[in-house]
Amino acid sequence: MKTRKIIYLEVTMLLVLISGLTLSCTRDLSDDSQYANNPKTAEVFIDGFSAGLDYGAFGNTLLTGFNVDTDVSYKGSASMRFDVPNVGDPEGAYVGGVFIDGGGRDLSGYDALTFWAKGSQSATINELGFGNDFNQNKYLVSMTNVPLATYWKKYIIPIPDASKLTSEKGMFWYSEGPENGQGYTFWIDEVKFEKLGTLAHPVPKIYDGVDRLEDSFIGMNTTITGLSQTFNLGNGTDQTVGVAPSYFKFNSSDESVATVSELGVINVVGSGTTVITAKLGDVDALGSFTINSLGVFTPATTPTRDPANVISIFSNAYTNVPVEYYNGYYAPYQTTQGQADIHINGDDIIRYTQLNFVGTQFSLPTVNATSMTHFHVDIQVQEAMTAGDHIRIQLGDFGANAVFGGGDDTNGSVNYTNASLTTGSWVGFDIPLSSFTGLASRSHLAQILFISDATISNILVDNMYFYAQPNAPTTAAPTPTVPAANVISVFSNAYTNIAGTDLNPNWGQATVVTQPLIAGNTTLKYAGLNYQGIQLGSSQNVSGMGFLHIDYWTANSTSLKAYLISTGPVEKFKILTVPTSGWQSVEIPLSDFSPVNLSDVIQLKFDGNGDIHLDNIYFHN
Amino acid sequence: MNQINQFNNIIRNMSKQNIYSKSCLLRITKCLSIAALFFVVLSCSNDEKQKVTNFKTLVMQDEFDTDGAPNSAIWDYNIGTGSNGWGNNELEYYTNSSENVKVVDGMLEITAKKEAFMGSEFTSARLLTKGLFEQKYGRFEARIKMPYGQGMWPAFWLLGGNSDEVAWPQCGEIDIMEYKGQEPTVTHGTVHGPGYSGATAITKSYDLINDRFDTDFHIFGIEWGEKYINFYVDDVLYNQITPNKVTGEWIYDHPFYIILNLAVGGNYVGSPNSATIFPQTMYVDYVRVYK
Repeated sequence: MKTRKIIYLEVTMLLVLISGLTLSCTRDLSDDSQYANNPKTAEVFIDGFSAGLDYGAFGNTLLTGFNVDTDVSYKGSASMRFDVPNVGDPEGAYVGGVFIDGGGRDLSGYDALTFWAKGSQSATINELGFGNDFNQNKYLVSMTNVPLATYWKKYIIPIPDASKLTSEKGMFWYSEGPENGQGYTFWIDEVKFEKLGTLAHPVPKIYDGVDRLEDSFIGMNTTITGLSQTFNLGNGTDQTVGVAPSYFKFNSSDESVATVSELGVINVVGSGTTVITAKLGDVDALGSFTINSLGVFTPATTPTRDPANVISIFSNAYTNVPVEYYNGYYAPYQTTQGQADIHINGDDIIRYTQLNFVGTQFSLPTVNATSMTHFHVDIQVQEAMTAGDHIRIQLGDFGANAVFGGGDDTNGSVNYTNASLTTGSWVGFDIPLSSFTGLASRSHLAQILFISDATISNILVDNMYFYAQPNAPTTAAPTPTVPAANVISVFSNAYTNIAGTDLNPNWGQATVVTQPLIAGNTTLKYAGLNYQGIQLGSSQNVSGMGFLHIDYWTANSTSLKAYLISTGPVEKFKILTVPTSGWQSVEIPLSDFSPVNLSDVIQLKFDGNGDIHLDNIYFHN
Repeated sequence: MNQINQFNNIIRNMSKQNIYSKSCLLRITKCLSIAALFFVVLSCSNDEKQKVTNFKTLVMQDEFDTDGAPNSAIWDYNIGTGSNGWGNNELEYYTNSSENVKVVDGMLEITAKKEAFMGSEFTSARLLTKGLFEQKYGRFEARIKMPYGQGMWPAFWLLGGNSDEVAWPQCGEIDIMEYKGQEPTVTHGTVHGPGYSGATAITKSYDLINDRFDTDFHIFGIEWGEKYINFYVDDVLYNQITPNKVTGEWIYDHPFYIILNLAVGGNYVGSPNSATIFPQTMYVDYVRVYK
């Protein structure tokens, strides 16, 4: 096992010029580019730096780690020696740097960079290559995990497409960390570009040669990965190198669906299907990306619950627990395809197709949700539905043995018919865990299943998480700031309330009304709301006011309406969004209550369900 | 690394044994062209051991200029797997199907395919002039572009026309070109005879500099006369075998016939691996024989 330092050169590089020292460099780095008549110099390091060559070390490297060694060489009088530090060396964590010819060279007549190397021990060099110019690295090539022997061996880094390299500055670069925590020394000699003539049968690849298929939406952007070029060397072995995008020519079969830039950045711009492919030189690359764009995308509502009260299985709003899969492809009866297939604007979405049933599993370890109260999931059905269509949401607990089977597994499910789902729109489900009848334990939860029995085939899924719903607010509602002179207050510690108001008139309701102190502030609590009135101490003329303000908090209500009532009675309601995440403040324009007579308001009323906390009920302008 | 003009006998593991059983009489050779060509100039070093004679009279040529099946007046086929994979544990089944052998655009194409057929994993083709063209001495050459990859074993070789009357290796075998797909810069020239066959055959390899055999055409040939066989690639003579070089009887004074084949796997080359790309084709631009 080896401690590997993954070094992102573009981010961490620090140029340390050592030119003009003992290394016989003759030029400084320059950004000037020459596009014609660049020298075709092949030599990089033979027994010293070639003319025009400068060295720069990467950031956090051991700056003393590179030296010209006149005692050891493969050939001639000197080699380059690299002293890799031990893990923990305060002077630098690894060795790495670039050899740049600031004037640029025409390398189009060569087919490889070659060198000889050996180590003080057998080792694996992390990365070597050329095309690193401390700037755009446009034609970067990297050979990774290069095996090093204790005797001199020749190494060949193929040039993916030499016709590109008419003005290349990056002659050579390397990066290597300790082996098994230990430093060691390696030598490199006779670094030069060559026309070997024995490199053949190029096999360029994108996406590591894999044909990818993904559903997507307008707005998605992603960068093509897994770029490489493989040549068969003269000794019959294949040598693969990592290749910068600029060596490739990318193509989108339908640019009205997605475009692809010279740097391999894909942007989905329309609906339909397109295939992203690439060529390197004249050779078609293996691998492709078929994008099936479903058009405009509306994400599910971003969850706002306190992460401290959430155990997330699949959501970009939280840190998810370890999940083994979002589709177990259970044989032999499952038909469902797809999993976390859609990535758009930083959001990942599961798309299931051909759904009959599908399981997500998170058993390593299982989830202890004993302190949780609810399961949340957002589902968007992507097809027309008919009566009888349904999705059953099932939770599975693996029992005390925490593994599937063993006789202690339990599960429970909740069924939703087409009436609870909406074609083409997200529907959020907040399901009390107590509703999963049969789920005897939730201390070893490990599976979530969606079961449609093939009645509904195409769904999007997002934000699967368990959460704990607090029973009551832990903070007071925001203190009102409207000047008292502009307020007629019904219920607030901040104002003088209307005298003689009955907060619990007996209208035959089942609601239990109390006035608990929350963080020192009196609130009005409706437990088990069906409906509940407030009888004002006297008729109020609020026609000079603009708004009715209400602060409310509910974790479990799924319906809440606020009514204003004038003599008659004439009443009108306003729907309040529930449940809330924390205190919710609303300012309801009084005009919304028309035809209520605003000069003769006598009552307020709430109806709905659940447990509601109210505060700061007042009219103001 | 390079062995040009060095005369080493390299021992290799190879055998082509017990594979010829049918009886066949020598037939009168049909001369297929009257044009005499003089265009290959052999640049020989002045090594004192070499003896070079140029054979300049063209007596047989196939330029593969007619699309379709190869000319049946010149070429016959070996079909099947022979005995024990043609004596070498080769993995292919030889057919005369156009899938495996055809003339296209001026080239003979012998194609090895990865396909289950008659109990074998691969199919390919092996053409021979036995009974159609046989000759003692002369210049035998072909211009060939090799297939590529581990396990490919193309060959251009001669076998004694008396192979049905006397057992191999007494009939003699001259391998003008043998090639391992995993060594794309190396070709081998070899003779097998009594006392020096298979692993003890007299052989030498030739390593191209700054080039390889599977990216373009190269000329492989011998000049064969009384008491010598010279092996050349393009314009480089790289070996001469004479009676004092063989460790047994010199049996190269009777007519031989030509074989062109593309074997897959076998003792000599090893099996294809996951990196071997199929199908693979051996392209033959021409075969010419001079006397």
